[in-house]
Amino acid sequence: MSEKLHIAQNLEDALLFRKENDCIVMAGSSDLMVSAYQGYGALPKFDKPVLLIRNLEELIGVRRNSDGTVEIGACTTSRQIVESPDTPWVLKQAAGRMGAVALRNSATIGGNIANASPKGDTPGPLYLLDAVVNVMSLDGGRRSIPIRDFIIKFRTIDLKNDEIITSVTIPVSDKDMTYWFYHKIGTRAANAISKLTLCACAKVSWGEVKDFRIAATASGPVTNRSRDVENIAIGLKFDELAAKASEISGAFDKVISPRAMPEFRREATRRMIEFFIDKVSKNSYKKFYN
Amino acid sequence: MTIEFSLNCEHVSIDVDPTKRLLDVLRDDFGLTGVKEGCSEGECGACCVLLNGQLVTSCIIPIAGVHGQDVRTIEWVRTTRLGETIIQSYADGGAVQCGFCIPGMVMASYYLLSNNPNPTKKEIRKGISGNMCRCTGYDLIVESIYLAAKRVGELHKARG
Amino acid sequence: MADMRNDKARKDAISKASGRETYVGDLSLDGMIYACLVRTSVPRGIIKSITLPPLPDGYYYFDDRNIPENGRNELWMIQKDWKCFAAGSSGYVGETIGILCGPDRTLLYSLRDQIKVEYEEQTPAVSIEDSLALVGGPIIGENNYHCTVELQAGDGDIDEIMKNAYRVVEEKFSTGHQEHMHLETNGMMVNYEDGKYVYYASCQCPFYIRKSVAGIIGATPEDIIVRQMSTGGAFGGKEHFPDVVAGPLILAEYYLKKPIKLIFNREEDTQFSVKRHPSVVKFKTALDRKGNILAMDSIVYYNAGRYLASSYIVIQRGCMHIEGVYKFPVARTRGYSMATNTFPSCAFRGFGAPQTIFAVETHMTHIAEKLGVDPVEYKRRYLIKQGDTTITNGKIVENVRTPELIEKVCKASDYFEKSRKYGFGSGKGIGFSLYNHGGAFTGNGESAIIKAVVKVCKRKDGTVLIKAGQTEMGQGFSSAVCRIAAKTLGIPYEKVIYKYPDTSVVPDSGPTAASRSTMVPGNLVMKACEELKARWDEADELECEAHYEHPEGYPWDQASFQGYAYLGYGWGACVVEVEVDPRTAETKIKGIWSAHDVGNCIDPLIVHGQVNGGIAQGIGWASTELLENKGGYFKQHSMSDYIIPTSMDLPAQEVYYANEPYKWGPYGAKGMGELVFNGSGAAYVDALSRAINRKIDSIPNPTEVIMGHILHSEKLTEDKR
Repeated sequence: MSEKLHIAQNLEDALLFRKENDCIVMAGSSDLMVSAYQGYGALPKFDKPVLLIRNLEELIGVRRNSDGTVEIGACTTSRQIVESPDTPWVLKQAAGRMGAVALRNSATIGGNIANASPKGDTPGPLYLLDAVVNVMSLDGGRRSIPIRDFIIKFRTIDLKNDEIITSVTIPVSDKDMTYWFYHKIGTRAANAISKLTLCACAKVSWGEVKDFRIAATASGPVTNRSRDVENIAIGLKFDELAAKASEISGAFDKVISPRAMPEFRREATRRMIEFFIDKVSKNSYKKFYN
Repeated sequence: MTIEFSLNCEHVSIDVDPTKRLLDVLRDDFGLTGVKEGCSEGECGACCVLLNGQLVTSCIIPIAGVHGQDVRTIEWVRTTRLGETIIQSYADGGAVQCGFCIPGMVMASYYLLSNNPNPTKKEIRKGISGNMCRCTGYDLIVESIYLAAKRVGELHKARG
Repeated sequence: MADMRNDKARKDAISKASGRETYVGDLSLDGMIYACLVRTSVPRGIIKSITLPPLPDGYYYFDDRNIPENGRNELWMIQKDWKCFAAGSSGYVGETIGILCGPDRTLLYSLRDQIKVEYEEQTPAVSIEDSLALVGGPIIGENNYHCTVELQAGDGDIDEIMKNAYRVVEEKFSTGHQEHMHLETNGMMVNYEDGKYVYYASCQCPFYIRKSVAGIIGATPEDIIVRQMSTGGAFGGKEHFPDVVAGPLILAEYYLKKPIKLIFNREEDTQFSVKRHPSVVKFKTALDRKGNILAMDSIVYYNAGRYLASSYIVIQRGCMHIEGVYKFPVARTRGYSMATNTFPSCAFRGFGAPQTIFAVETHMTHIAEKLGVDPVEYKRRYLIKQGDTTITNGKIVENVRTPELIEKVCKASDYFEKSRKYGFGSGKGIGFSLYNHGGAFTGNGESAIIKAVVKVCKRKDGTVLIKAGQTEMGQGFSSAVCRIAAKTLGIPYEKVIYKYPDTSVVPDSGPTAASRSTMVPGNLVMKACEELKARWDEADELECEAHYEHPEGYPWDQASFQGYAYLGYGWGACVVEVEVDPRTAETKIKGIWSAHDVGNCIDPLIVHGQVNGGIAQGIGWASTELLENKGGYFKQHSMSDYIIPTSMDLPAQEVYYANEPYKWGPYGAKGMGELVFNGSGAAYVDALSRAINRKIDSIPNPTEVIMGHILHSEKLTEDKR
């Protein structure tokens, strides 16, 4: 082990170190430092060298691309995501409810994705928004992977040993959908870990449901979304939706697989889906729901 | 590894294991014991410091993360006008019981009032929601921060 | 009663808020090394072998095999059953096997993790039900009883009354483990100074530590000095538990004679420290045709864990509070402190009273609902008053102002209007509870066991130093006692000095526990100051002392638990309003109103803070603070999975008083630190039950449990009143 920890000077330096070392990439460090903790006054324990990228300016910021998509740098903190006018509402909700003030100043979206925790705050909205994870390796190697493929399974991501997550691209903006829903049931009112989070959106045009999406987190080993379930709603007239509510929630119930508190998680998921469908089916003027 | 940073407005340099927690460096190497360890996982806020002006929990940041950055602790905040006012208001308002969470709470109050000099009580509750207190039930802390805001406002008014 | 507070803040506020206060973790001595405990990892079993890794120079391991010949492997709390070291068997997960010491903590913990312990595992009894069923065979005695209590008051054969009653209401209530979660974990440092073992400790009771650990190395309490450090919260968790930390440390110090610091990390503090007793309380209440209570019979089980610790007293206090603030014609209770293979339960704010008060309050509420009477109206019919006989067949000595407390909280909260309007199952609910807490040690404990002494010293510079064993742990004693002295002496508050106790300097004025510090030692300070004032001009330096004397005419027999259990109670009423999200079962607390009789507020702001904090902890206990024990292992281990309230979980509280000055307290003050915990849980559960129209008979109630109630529990009432 050459270096225990390397502070990346710039992206190229980071990619170089990454290529030459089997290492742990650390951004906001809020998850990695906790799992490495050994006890009061002891050094954290890492079994590989650490590559620290938290202060790489190239990886910080929220910007709108010319094609209308929004790109968020991997080391952008939750606070920066919340404060940006370009952040989609549903993601802003999630970032704003991550931990509390101080954590939101450390935790990054790249870290939250890489952690691939079933209780992570940002994956839900990112699944809903069909976000794409952009990764890079030295010598210009780039890949863009849909989030649902990037998070392979519980705590496992599709990131090669020489790659770094650089950003996420979000193709859907608030105006693309007619209705949005986000609700996190946390362990408490603030500073909470998710017991269950549901986000959803729907596009209604000329009275017809053109798009309909549901994503649930903490309801299984990874965030749950199912196009098959969503297709039950798509194509219906908005006022036909109410009659399909229990069919949709029932179909979604088969998609989720909560391990702990299964009854609660299934019941609350069902109720939240039916609540959202009720709002959509009434074609009301309100756009955002919690 | 040699880590250099600005600590409470002074340039410091220290040869240290780069993974060592900022919290441990502040307490063990610089004797800044106003920074407390409560939970060791970024949850309770007792170890809050300002990193480049942003409130962070120092227990989940490796010292390497502050290389070239600006760190301020309660030991600096207590020397500022705003910090002093907050501390005095905490005392006058009965916000302090066992006191273990309080330096971190003062840091959160300082961060809140720096960014929002006239917070509502609801905003205050949100501002300190990452700082856990087991003694007070938070009411008198909220009131004390509100009092501090008023006092700072009066100071500014007096100065014209 | 005049407000004794001037505009000066509490003594420790600025030092604490500015980060200058020294807690034990902040203390550093030359040559200091560190220690950690090596613990068992099975709830019940025989330790077959302990294999250490090679220890580098400067690293040491000690366990029971290192105890000197004249020493004993026991901690002395009430009994001496709690072993300092596991010595061959594990009775719970986290029992101390040994202590490991060395200079570098990273290496120290790594060495600890390399220690291999082989067990022959046995089947543990974890719950009260397990213990009653003697799962895995008895842990102690023949029936797993650490101790029992039986109390009865009123005329008539209770079994006969039950038989002849128009109706008998039977209910069972249960509560779970609760973790103190003081922000400062347990910790202490030991050092050998001038031939004495000196502790620097985060603790409530310095004299307890001395007594408890001296025998381990065959020393006497006088060979030990305990210096309390600023203590970052305790709530009972640092009453006896510091003995468990101090024991292994004194053995290490016996050999090493250098400063050794041991600080628990949060995970250790959550999993391997004492807890509030889980409880099961069963009632059988006989009613006549009109719904009047004829008799109330109850059985109380507390899960005490493997060792007795303070459970002997906890179960007694629980049973003595079984009638709550009420008087029933006939009452009987039988209490059992059950041995299990969990970490021993011990003191926690309320000390056994909250569990029975939650049970009796909820039971009374359910009876009222069943009869179609508003619970407040129903409860009013049974309020105990001055001169009434208690369950220990003593009398209530003081004027009881519960009717005023009820009036105040109901008016402030608009209880009756909301109770009517919200009804049952509307998603909104308002709940109510009444509670009390007997101040100081039970019965004649203050005179028979504690025999408190305090001293006050006039010094050359005109300041007066308080010498008492009472600790400051956040509750405000250091300021309250100075206000008492200042008022009595007629000198400024700034001239009175309190210092964290050092057992070599202060007399033993008893533990800082049982809501006794202001009430009893505080009163002794007043008396000593009265003498000092009278003799003020005698000399530049002068010391006066006062000894506790129990008031005449209030007998107590500890063998039969008969007589005057408490001379002064604190009394309280609490209203909680909640709103439950029908979709998700999430609960938001909309309002908290409380009214208390604390005798007199020596420092109203400190009392206010105690009320706020106690109520918040009670609500945490009843709502989110789930601490599960599966197979002997606590499932929660951190501040992110053991859920205490944040500032966003609680609304601003409204606080009222109707104070009845206490005859034997300083300026009328009586105990209040525990009182304020005792009732908010029941009020919260009442509000929640009404909001969802479901019977709730257990604590805690995190969101998923509430959803479970909505889906499965019995309705509270069919009536949509």
